[in-house]
Parts: sequence; C-alpha cells; structure tokens
Amino acid sequence: MEDGTGPDLRAQLERRRALARWVAQEIMPHEPRLRAWFVKRRIAPDVVDELMQDAYCRIAMLDTVDHIDCGHAYFFSICRNLLARRLKRQVIAPFEAISEIESYRDTGMPTPEEQVATRMAFERVRSLLAQLPERCRRIVELRKFEGWSQKEIAAHMGMTEKAVEKQVWVGVRAIREGWDRLEREPEMLPTGRRAS
Amino acid sequence: MTTTSPLTPADRDAAATWVARMDDAAAWSTADEAALQAWLAGDPRRHGLLLQVQAAWELPGVVTPPAAPEAVDSAPGDDAIEPANDRGAWARRGVLGGLVAAGIAGAAATRLVLANGAQYVTRLGEIRRVPLDDGSVMTINSDTALKVNLGQHAREVELDQGEAWFEVAKDAKRPFVVASGPVRAQAIGTAFSVRKREEGVEILVTEGVVETWSAADATQRLRVVAGERAMVNARALVHYQASETAPVDRALAWRNGMIDLNGTTLREAADEFNRYNQRQIVIADPEVAAEQFDGLFRIGDPDGFAQTLKATLAVKIDVSDPRTIRIERAAETGF
Repeated sequence: MEDGTGPDLRAQLERRRALARWVAQEIMPHEPRLRAWFVKRRIAPDVVDELMQDAYCRIAMLDTVDHIDCGHAYFFSICRNLLARRLKRQVIAPFEAISEIESYRDTGMPTPEEQVATRMAFERVRSLLAQLPERCRRIVELRKFEGWSQKEIAAHMGMTEKAVEKQVWVGVRAIREGWDRLEREPEMLPTGRRAS
Repeated sequence: MTTTSPLTPADRDAAATWVARMDDAAAWSTADEAALQAWLAGDPRRHGLLLQVQAAWELPGVVTPPAAPEAVDSAPGDDAIEPANDRGAWARRGVLGGLVAAGIAGAAATRLVLANGAQYVTRLGEIRRVPLDDGSVMTINSDTALKVNLGQHAREVELDQGEAWFEVAKDAKRPFVVASGPVRAQAIGTAFSVRKREEGVEILVTEGVVETWSAADATQRLRVVAGERAMVNARALVHYQASETAPVDRALAWRNGMIDLNGTTLREAADEFNRYNQRQIVIADPEVAAEQFDGLFRIGDPDGFAQTLKATLAVKIDVSDPRTIRIERAAETGF
C-alpha cells in the first residue's frame, strides 16, 4: 500500500501530526490547570469538556499555529471567549461568573506550576503506559518510541498487521481515556490562581 | 456553537481507530484519507476530537523530559512577555525583549530642551522609558507629547497628548504634579499613569496615592489610591473603579509591550491596536464591533490579534490592502 498516495496525502498526514504534537507539547499539560480554574468557578465539568472540545475544533481548523507564541494561553483565551459568549446568551447570565472569567490573566510566563504541569504530564503518560497489558505495552513502545513500522512489529511478534494496529488502537484509547480520568481526580489539580 | 448531543463513546473509539491507523504513515492510503474525511464531515466536532486523541497519543512518555527547567531565570523585573515551553519560544522572547529595549534606548533623540524644561514626543508605536533627574521614571506610551519641568519647588509635567506612567521618587518639598488641560494629578510617593482621552483625563494608580483636581475648582479634590482608576474632566470628577489592582495592571500592559483585553469590545480593541500601529484594524460590521473579547496580545502584532479573532469568532479577515486589516462578519460555521 505504499503507492497511490501523492505527496499531498503525506503532507496532509504530516501536517495533522505536527499539529497534534504541538498540542501535546503546548496545551495538553496545562489542561488540568484550565479545568481547575473553570471548576473552581462552578462551571460544570460537562460544560468544560464541551468548551475544550470546541476550542480544539477551532485549533484543528487553523491553517497554521506559527503566529501563536504561547499555546496554552491562546487555548485558555479561546475557552474563556467561548464560555463568555455562552453565558451571555443565557437569559440569566451569572454575572459574577462573567466578570471572574474576564479577570483571569495569563502572561505566558512559565510559572513553577507550569513546569510542574509539563513534568506531571510525562509522569502521567508513563504510568498509563505501565498499566497496559504486557503485549500491548511492548507494541506501543516499539511503535511510539522505537519507531518500528506496523509491518516490522507484525513480523517480529508473529501476528498480522491488522492485529498490531488493533493493539496500537488499544494503546491510543487507553492513553486518551486515562488522561481524562486522571484529569478529573481533584488531587491532581494544582489549586489557586496566580496573582498577577 | 452551543453543542447539543455529546459525542458518543463510539465517536471516541472511531477517533482512536483513525489515530492508530494514521500512526503508520506507510500504510495510509488515499482511500483511508477519503474515509477519514467522510467521518469528519459527519460532525464538525470530530475535528476537535481527533486532534485531542492524536495529541494524547503524541504526548511524550518514555523519553525523559529535557531537563525540566528547574530554575526560572527570567529577570526579576518580570518584564518577560513570552512563553518558555520550548527553546524556540525562549529565542523569540529574546528577540522581543531586544526590540522593546531598543525602543527604550533610542529615547533621548527627540528630547528638546526648552526654556522651561524638556519636551518629549513619541511616535506611533514607540514606547519610551525616561529617567528624570530627580530619580523619578516615566514611561511614555505611543503617540504622546509631554513637557517636564523640574523646578526647585515643584515638579511639573504637562501632558498635551497621549499617555504616560510615572514612578515618582519621594520628595516632600517638591510635589510632583501632572497637568493635562485643566486636570491636575499630584503624586504622594507613588506610581501612576495619566492618559488624555477625548472625554477627559484618565488616571490609574498602581502604587500609593494620587490627589487629583481640576484647575477650574482646586478645592474639590479626589484621592485615588492604588488599584483605582479615575476619570476627570473640566467639570466633574468621576471615580471609576475601586477594585483590586488587576484591572489597573491590565490597562497598563503596554508598559511591557502588551495589550490586555478583557471583555473589551472589538471596537475598543481595534482602537487600542490602532494607537500603536500604522496598519489599522477596520471593523466593517457594527455587530461584530460590539462583540466582546479577551486575551493578551503583543502591541505590534495586530495580525496575530486578527488571526485569533478568526479562530474564535465568526469573522473573516481581509488583508488585501497593506494599510488595513479588515474584519468582517463571516457566515456562521458549523460550530
């Protein structure tokens, strides 16, 4: 299946992956802080999920992220704007909520909390990987960190490529779901907003 | 944009399938791409979901984090503006810091020594920090004209146009007074800004206390303390806001080369950017102009601001004319 694929196809795939990597690096480690900030202001977790999903949609639609200096501040900003619009649209807008939202400030400086967030994200993924079933974990590691192709893994482990893909799927899903689950554990969340 | 039914677990599983399949680029075919596009077209939110799942997969986990930056080594002045999650960001920050510094360093050029003091003029986009002989420091915003006269019995600044922020050195014998038209603001060991607006003079106090009055009636004085904002014109004193310092700091973000918007209408936001840039933001639609917005932006980057608007609001951007950035309403997207 190596052919029939123009350079456009590759480029598109690569672009998509580059964006995902950027999000993984710049935004995802900060999701817990963002979430904590909203939850503290009594925004329901479901609503926060939806806001974040909308915000990710908007990011997915961007032609480029080159103009964004600070990914998570940008993301915060989109989420807050989306929430502000949503609240204003409600008949009885919780006034306090709006003014609080607007008073959040993020200068983009890496505070100690931000550094911790990045480190915690690593730890989190590491622990999620460790919880995978043995065979699945090995496949994920070969694929994700050693860069083996599915074909090579299939040959090495004596299974079909489809089966390898299935195991990768299990890994993808486990990381994603695990990430969400951990995010909702309140003790994981740094508290307090930064005075500025 | 308000979502209705949440995305289902089936959607999440499907997203994981796509990510797993895309992970091996060699095995990805045109047919796969077409099928993916069809799936994405089924619900616009799937674009976001796919990105989230793929990003989770791309999270680094085994590679050790590049020596997690233990020491925050930024200057204590806290004028750092840029993020620092990767080296690129640090590099950009260095450049930006340099630019701001250059703007400040190039200062003394337009200082004209007058018979009764010195005059300072800043051009559009220029922000300048000027130390005064008495130890006070003033930071002059874009497109501003003012005169300074440090006398034996008084220190006087006359603001003809624009805005400046003053960090005043204490000197009980020589009161520090800023005049703008008939409005006076006197510092009492303090940092504050004075901005001449069309409707009056705005005073923001970041530290200490400022006493303000109109020359028309010097008996009626208003004390403005740290964190407060006052609007003063020839006829009346208006006390604006008495809250924590955050809003005041925000309004003075320009000192760091930033514009800080919070719940600001796009009309006001455009005015802010247009204070600093040749390339003017034009908002074509009154309804769009009334939309509110927030975020922190670099003063010299109206384009970045426009891009952010595009990502957040239903607007489109027209940059075909190099002198303007037109913001127009777009047809509502699927969100």
